[in-house]
Amino acid sequence: MNFIDKFLVKIVLLPTTFYRGLGINTLQLKAILQTKITLGDRTPTGIRAIKRANPKKPTSGVSFSQLFMSVFLGLFFMTSFYFGQNYETKLTLYFSMFMFILASTLMADFTTVLIDVRDNFIILPKPVSDITFLTSRLLYIIIYILKTAIPMTLIGMVYVGYFIGLWPLVIFIVMVLLVTLFTVFLINAAYIFVLKVTTPQKFKTIITYFQIALAVLIYASYQIIPRLISKSEMAGFDISQNSWIFLAPPFWFACAWQFLTTFSGGFIMVIYTVLSLSIPFISIWFVIKYLAPSFNQKLAMIEGTGEEQTTKPTIHKAPKKGFGLTENITKWITQNGAERVGFMLTWKMTSRSRDFKMKVYPSLGYLGVYLVLMLLNNKGNKGRFELPPADSFVYIFIVYFSNFVLITAMGYLIYSEKYKAAWLYYIPPVDKPGKFILGSVKAILVKFFAPLAVAILVSAYFLLGVASLPNFILGICNQALIIFTIAYITFNQMPFSTLAGNKTKGSSLVRGLFTMLIPVSVGSVHYLIRDFLPVVILLNVLSIIAIWMVNDSIKNKTWEQINVQTDW
Amino acid sequence: MEPIISLKNVIKNYGTKQVLKGINLDIYPGQVIGYIGPNGAGKSTTVKILCGLIADFEGEVLVGGLNIKTESLTIKSKIGYVPELADLYDVLTPIEFLNLMAQLYSIDEQLASERMNKMLTAFGLAAVMNERMDTFSKGMRQKVLIISGLLHNPDIIILDEPLSGLDANSVITVKELISKLAKDGKTIFYCSHMMDVVEKVSDRIVLINNGTVIADGSFEELKQQQGNQSLEQIFSLLTQGSSTNDASDQLMNAFNN
Repeated sequence: MNFIDKFLVKIVLLPTTFYRGLGINTLQLKAILQTKITLGDRTPTGIRAIKRANPKKPTSGVSFSQLFMSVFLGLFFMTSFYFGQNYETKLTLYFSMFMFILASTLMADFTTVLIDVRDNFIILPKPVSDITFLTSRLLYIIIYILKTAIPMTLIGMVYVGYFIGLWPLVIFIVMVLLVTLFTVFLINAAYIFVLKVTTPQKFKTIITYFQIALAVLIYASYQIIPRLISKSEMAGFDISQNSWIFLAPPFWFACAWQFLTTFSGGFIMVIYTVLSLSIPFISIWFVIKYLAPSFNQKLAMIEGTGEEQTTKPTIHKAPKKGFGLTENITKWITQNGAERVGFMLTWKMTSRSRDFKMKVYPSLGYLGVYLVLMLLNNKGNKGRFELPPADSFVYIFIVYFSNFVLITAMGYLIYSEKYKAAWLYYIPPVDKPGKFILGSVKAILVKFFAPLAVAILVSAYFLLGVASLPNFILGICNQALIIFTIAYITFNQMPFSTLAGNKTKGSSLVRGLFTMLIPVSVGSVHYLIRDFLPVVILLNVLSIIAIWMVNDSIKNKTWEQINVQTDW
Repeated sequence: MEPIISLKNVIKNYGTKQVLKGINLDIYPGQVIGYIGPNGAGKSTTVKILCGLIADFEGEVLVGGLNIKTESLTIKSKIGYVPELADLYDVLTPIEFLNLMAQLYSIDEQLASERMNKMLTAFGLAAVMNERMDTFSKGMRQKVLIISGLLHNPDIIILDEPLSGLDANSVITVKELISKLAKDGKTIFYCSHMMDVVEKVSDRIVLINNGTVIADGSFEELKQQQGNQSLEQIFSLLTQGSSTNDASDQLMNAFNN
C-alpha cells in the first residue's frame, strides 16, 4: 500500500464507534480492506491488463501507475477549457469527457473490483459477520472510485481554483462528486442491461470486447482530436444554443455550477441545479432498492467455478458436420493430419482465447484507425476529400503496413496461459512438427489478412480501376511471402505452447527491428518498380513460386529444430 | 514371452543432476504396472522417455521390440497417454478436441466420430459434448482426457494420476475399465500417489526412489518382503526410512506453547 491508500483507509475507518454501533468488527474490517487494497495494487486491470508485458514478474504499484494514468487523462480533459465562449459550454464538455472516461475505466474494471470469487472460500468460511463483509466491500468500492475520480479531476480543480476562485472550486468539487455518483449509476444500469440481454457466461466476453474497443477509441481520439483543435471557430461556440442540450446530464451539472457560483441566470438555471443535486441520489437509491439485489446474484455467477454448469440443463446439439465455409477453406488449403490440426486449433484459439484477443485485437483496431487517417489526410485543393492518385505512395504503404499486425499476431501465437496443454503435439505420431506450424501460420493469414486483402482488391477495382490491380496483387503476395519467411525463421516453438510473457530477452528487440525491416525494404523496392507492368507481373510469378517453396521448408521443420517444452 | 516394454540401464541427466540412475524394467503384455515413488523420484521422466519425448538418455528402451530412439513414430502410435492435472486447451469443445486427436492418430473420420460419441456417452458427457470445456469441472476434463488417450485403441496405455477430480462412480468405472483393458491384452502403466488405488488396480508394483527401482513385485510379494503392511506403510518405510509418525508428532507439537 502506498501513502494514498493508507490515507484513504484511515479516512474511511475514522468513524470506528459508528461502525461498532452497527455491529461491525472493526479489526476484521480493517484487515479485509487492507488485504483487498494490496491485492488490487498487485493486479493489473483494464487497459493495463492488455499491455501487461510479463505476467511472471510480480505486479505491484498498480494503484500508483493508475493514479498517474488518471492524472494524465485529466490533463486531456483540460482541452475543453479552450472551447466555447462560456463556462456552461466548457464545463459541459469537461463533464462529458470525465463521465465518458470514468465510465469506461470503471466499466472495464468493475467485475474484478465488485466480485472476487476468492471471497467465497477465503472470507466466507471464517467467522466474519455479513455486515462486516458487506461494509468492507462497500468501503473498498468507494476507495476505488475515489482513487480514479479524484486524480482525473485534479488538474481541473487546480485550474478552477487558480483562475476562477475558491468558492467556484468548492462547487466544482461537489459537482465532480455528483457526476461520479451519477456515472456509477450509469455503469450499474449498463451492467444490468448487458446481463438482461445476455448470459453471465458471455458477460466476460462482452467486457473483453469493450476493453478492446476502449483501447482503440482512446488511441483514435489521441490521433484525431489534436487535428481538430486547430479549428479556431470552435472557440466561439455556445453549447446552450443547441435545443436538445437540456437532455444531456453534463449540461445540468455545468449549469448548476454556473448558478451556484454566480447565483444568476434565471428560473431555468434553478431547475438544472435542482436536477443536478437530486438526480444522482435518486438514481443511486433506485439502484440499491430495485436493481442491486438480483444484480449481485447474477454477478456472482459470472466467475462461477462452472460446477453449476454440470447441473444446468443444456440443449443437446447434434454434432455439427464441420462449420460451413471455414471447414471448406480448411480442406482446400491444408493437408489432412497435423497441418489441418494446426490450422483448426489456431483458428479456434485465436477467436476464443481471451488472452490472444486482448493482445492482438487492439492492434487490429489501431491499424484500422491509422489506415483511415492515411486516406483522410490527403486533402484535395479546396480542402475537399479526394483519393490519392493510383500510383501514390499511400497505397503501397497501406498494403505493407498491414504486415505489422500479422507479425504481431504471429508473435503471440506461441503463447498461452494453458501452455501445458501442448502435450498434444508431442504424444501422437507426427513426423514433422513443421506441419503444425504451417497450418497455424496459414490460419493467421486466412483469418487476419485474407479479409483485408479482399477488401483492398475490391475497393482498388472499383475506385482505381483494373490497371491498379497487378500492383495490389503483388503487394498481397509479398505479404504472404514475408509472413511465411518470418515464420520459417522465427517460429521455433509449437503454437500456444509457452507461458505468455516468457520471452527470451536481449535478442528479441534486435530481431523485432529486423523483422520490421523486411516489409519496409520489400515495400520500397515495390514502390520503385510500380510503373513497369511487365516487371510487376514477373515479380508476381516469382513471389508465388517463393511462397510455395517457403511453405515446403516450414512443413519440413524437424523435431530437432523445435524447442520442445517438456515442463508439464 | 517377449516383454512389450523393456528398459535397460536407462540413465538420464538434467545438467549435473542425475534423475534416472540406471532403470532396468521388463513389462509384459496384459500387465497393470503401478509405478510409484515420491515427488522428484523420476516417475515423469520415465513416462516422457516412454512417450518418445526425451531422446537424449543413456541406455536402451525397446517398445514392442522397437528401439524408441529410432522408431519413435511407430511406438507413439501404439501408446495412449493420459496426462495429469487436466491440462487442455479448454476453449475447445470435447468433440473439437477429440477430433484433433483423432486426426493426429490418423483415425478414419467416421470411426473416430462413432467412438467419440460412444465413449462420451458412456462417461455421461453426451449432453455437453458441444460445449466449451472452460466451464467443465476437473472430473469432466479428466474424462475427456481419458477418452483422448484411448481413442486410437492403443496397445500400451500410460495413465498419470487418472482418477484426479473424478467422482466416486467414475472412479469405479475407470478402475473396472483398467482391468478390462488388461484382460484384453493391453499393457497399463499406472502412475499415482494414491497408494490404496495402486494397491488394488495393479498386479505389479514398481517403486522408484532417487532414480532407481527399490522395489518390484506384486503387492503380495511386497507384503512378504516387508512384513504384512499396507502399501502406504511399505512406501514410507522404503522411501523415508522411518515412520511418518515423526512428522505428524512434530506438527502436533506446534500447539504446545
